[in-house]
Amino acid sequence: MKYSVAILSLLAFPALANVDIVGNVEAKCVIQTTKAGVYGNPIASKLSTTPADGGVLPVIRYDVSIADSYTANITHPTAFSSSPSLTDTLAWTGSTSVTQTSVAGMSAYEAAKIVVGNTTIFDLTLAGSTWFSTASSAVYGSAKALPGGTYTAVVQATCIAK
Amino acid sequence: MTPAYPVVKPSHVKDVVKVEMSLFNSREEIEYYQIELFDLNWMNIPFSTTYRVMQVGYKEHKSFDVYIRKSDMDEAVYLCTTSKVKKTYESSTLVASKICSRLDGRPA
Repeated sequence: MKYSVAILSLLAFPALANVDIVGNVEAKCVIQTTKAGVYGNPIASKLSTTPADGGVLPVIRYDVSIADSYTANITHPTAFSSSPSLTDTLAWTGSTSVTQTSVAGMSAYEAAKIVVGNTTIFDLTLAGSTWFSTASSAVYGSAKALPGGTYTAVVQATCIAK
Repeated sequence: MTPAYPVVKPSHVKDVVKVEMSLFNSREEIEYYQIELFDLNWMNIPFSTTYRVMQVGYKEHKSFDVYIRKSDMDEAVYLCTTSKVKKTYESSTLVASKICSRLDGRPA
């Protein structure tokens, strides 16, 4: 009887095991559009996203999970993706700047940016979120009035693993 | 798109390797993404996948495999997904986002 009680008590002993929860944070880049850009039409021959011209600057947010893994390459437009029929040339200008950061050190991105043609390259050396805004303007040849209609241009925001 | 530095695995086809990728759509206004493969000079490299343009809902994850010939692996560097923007009816700037992983691994 004594033995059987001892065996039963062993069987009733709860099984214990340690279960590990393992997590892994890997390099990741997420791009979001915080604000869509809108062209203002301050004079008949010009379209511009600058607020002073009645436009809205597009704002793009980059989130990177691990420091020094990606570069942000942002290209401002040099052509309309859709527009009314145009018979003259357009003079395009544009630029991209850092507008907001989640980490104070990211403000150095602006000074360290590299501009190659119409592309601005930022080295994302810190983990966190960075907001960029892109200004774009197009002036129609010889100060002609732009034909009426809808004009759309595309900003290319690229996140490239180093 | 993850991983940033994908592992190249053997596939069930001889002389073809496989890369397993995952895409997360964080952009509410975007529904379709295109997969592209480039060399170091951004020239296109041939590859195969189930859908070159795939539909990914907002806040949705989608996994996909990319098949590349072993002979092209010396050249293949950037595996990218590009958002497909929709036509709008207001004068605006659209944002096309492109995220690229590196097949040649993290530089030393």
